[in-house]
Amino acid sequence: MRLLGIVIAIITSEALHAQTPSDGLMMPSKNICVLFSYDMGTFDRYWEGSYLRSNETIATVDRNMVLPMAAIGILDNLNFYVSLPFISTESSEPNGGFFTGARGFQDIGFALKYRPIRTDWGPGRISFLGTAGFSTPFTNYLSDYRPYSIGAGAPEFSLRAIAQYEFKNQLYFRASAAHLWRGYTEAERDYYYNDGSYYTAWMDVPNAWTYETILGKWLFDTSLKLELSYSSLTSTSGDDIRAYNAAQPTNKVEVDRLGFSAQYYFKSIKGLGVVAYHNRVIDGRNAPKMSNTGFGLTYQFSVIKKQTDEENAQ
Amino acid sequence: MKKMRNNITILLLTALVISLISCEKDTPQYLPYEGYTYAELNTNGGDWVPVLQSSGDAIEVTAPSSTDSQEYQDELEELKAAMSTMTSDQRKAIKYWTNNPAIRWNEIALELIAKYNLIPGPNADGTYTLPNPSNPEGPPAFPFAHPPYACRALAYMSVAQFDGLISAWHYKYEYNRPAPFQLDETIDYAYGENDLPSYPSDGAVVARASRNILSAMFPLEVEYLQKMEEEHLESLLLSGGNVMSDITAGLEIGDAVSETALTRASNDGMKNAQTPKAVSDSIKQAAYDRFGWAWDNLEIPVRPVGLTPLFSKVTMWSIDDVESVRPIPPPQLDSQELLDDVELLKDYAKNMTDEKRRIANFWQDGLGTYTPPGHWNRIANEFMVEYKLNPLQTTRTLAYMNMAIMDAGISCWDAKYYYHYPRPIQLIEGFETIAGTPNFPSYTSGHSVFSAAASEVLAYVFPNEASTVRAWAEEAAISRVYGGIHWSFDATVGTDQGREVAQYTIDRAKADGADQ
Repeated sequence: MRLLGIVIAIITSEALHAQTPSDGLMMPSKNICVLFSYDMGTFDRYWEGSYLRSNETIATVDRNMVLPMAAIGILDNLNFYVSLPFISTESSEPNGGFFTGARGFQDIGFALKYRPIRTDWGPGRISFLGTAGFSTPFTNYLSDYRPYSIGAGAPEFSLRAIAQYEFKNQLYFRASAAHLWRGYTEAERDYYYNDGSYYTAWMDVPNAWTYETILGKWLFDTSLKLELSYSSLTSTSGDDIRAYNAAQPTNKVEVDRLGFSAQYYFKSIKGLGVVAYHNRVIDGRNAPKMSNTGFGLTYQFSVIKKQTDEENAQ
Repeated sequence: MKKMRNNITILLLTALVISLISCEKDTPQYLPYEGYTYAELNTNGGDWVPVLQSSGDAIEVTAPSSTDSQEYQDELEELKAAMSTMTSDQRKAIKYWTNNPAIRWNEIALELIAKYNLIPGPNADGTYTLPNPSNPEGPPAFPFAHPPYACRALAYMSVAQFDGLISAWHYKYEYNRPAPFQLDETIDYAYGENDLPSYPSDGAVVARASRNILSAMFPLEVEYLQKMEEEHLESLLLSGGNVMSDITAGLEIGDAVSETALTRASNDGMKNAQTPKAVSDSIKQAAYDRFGWAWDNLEIPVRPVGLTPLFSKVTMWSIDDVESVRPIPPPQLDSQELLDDVELLKDYAKNMTDEKRRIANFWQDGLGTYTPPGHWNRIANEFMVEYKLNPLQTTRTLAYMNMAIMDAGISCWDAKYYYHYPRPIQLIEGFETIAGTPNFPSYTSGHSVFSAAASEVLAYVFPNEASTVRAWAEEAAISRVYGGIHWSFDATVGTDQGREVAQYTIDRAKADGADQ
């Protein structure tokens, strides 16, 4: 048996806090951060076009997600991310539709985040970052089964630009913009209506822009991070959900969302952090008025390759 | 230098990934076929027996001016002048409409069905408002193009087209006026050449008959349909296949056959199919008294009346008495047969496979789609192009198939409301489905009956495809059991019912003169 020539050590560096492809943090080289979170989403109303409605056919829909993710510090200014959520959906009872929910692994995602610039500027420090992401369905889940389908069922490539300004007192402001290129998803029927007939199983999932602005603050000697966020997503094309009809992957989706998150890093256990957040969709189009709450654990450690271990294993 | 090379690598990778994702898929909006040379011409087609007209010469069409007359020569010059200044949009339209345009009009009908196949939702106070033909804007918009509505619209349109083309064929071969491209070598015909006389224009018959029927069935689409007809008529001319007098004569036939068809439609009983609650309740009570069971709508809020309880009373095309083809009763609620089926459905739901899910979704044809009758029209369209049928054979196929489908639907609805049998979600505690449970009783399955009837007519017209289409019909039937919304006997008995009902229309087809 071949040993992995890896010794794991908890590092003592300050830069413990790399987290997601869209934040302003970087993790040092040869560090790995793993995140494990549980997310509970729910909605009892949704926008049909721009009309906010309820629908007793689906009643209240719950969407729960378990998200394992890993971040790897390749270079101090270049991080790699991989994630694979598991999602399950179902309607509350009673409901008038009697539809069964869906569950399964959704899309496997990869991302590279690069920080070309971090420099002192005025009374603080400014950083610019860029992220390229790619995700694709991990299983053959059915995207054409709204509102229960667990994802859009299409490959997605994203490019994100991030700018962050942090004052000496660790109050920071961050803004990011991303374009999402989505591919096609394959339905299990070869005819659908999208402002006209389509004689194919392939549905064009609209591309989208997303924007995010964040106000954050580090407290207690960089152990607690609080963030308020406002984010939006706007599809660049697509059709509206028709009256009292099911949504479909071709819809033009718009979402405006407010969020709050808190992340705490233990001083006593090096590398361990906890995160909690709550988000609310406040406006939208062809989208659920979803609220979600999540909790997660993060653990960061450094990996130092010792060639001697590998040699000993021969 | 090294950094720059890295940047270039990243750029190249980015470009690769974007191209992988956005590689354009072909998402056709209509059947991708072009004009073609017909496999045969059916020169005796004018002698075939129409469905609603008494004969091919029942509509009078006056003799055209002869090809050497000044009148005709003027028409020819006008045509050539118009053809010499064609725009690219006009060329595109010619390519789209083809020389078998009944398929295009069928696709237009399917698109309107999908557009209007939306079930009205509840009002804020829990009541439901029904679409009202005297206030078509609604809300809800008229019509709700559910499967009974859809199959009826398709039947009337196809019958009018077929009757009209029998008449057109009659006069084509009575007057024998060649098409412009055959008379004048300088005219390039847009499609594969045929020796079909051009007076009266078969395309104009199809355009006018289709437009008239669809305008009556989809009153909010009158303008759209007029626009489509105008584009089609212009293409008939610019294709080099017709002069204006060919088209004018075709329009007269189209008006006449659609008037006959719409007169039948206005008196076929459809306007009473969606009953008031009192009538619906008495139908339900009668079933309960007779059998000891009744289907309940389980939606929230409850829909007070099921879908078209008296569709069974609509005049059939080929059968005099709907009760003569009524299937045997479904199993008693305490029978072993039903208990076995409960276990079967639970097993399917618990052990759903990719293949069963695919079948359930492929044949679902639910709300917002062209419905099962529409799905079979699409299948027929593909075969008709593959076999290069001429317009007369095309409309004959569509007419008999849609007559059989409509008769099948009427017979199915007779069983549904006579037996009033509960759906699986009503009898199995806690049962959940992957397909939507419709607002009408379970026995027999509409998909099964529609599909069996359609496949039998297609098997008659395309004997080489018989085993294929029959297997598809059986798959469509069982798809509803996989979907969790039908019992297996709904599907199997429904398939037998559809086959039996279709035979009446096929017998009629065999006697219309086309097979001689």
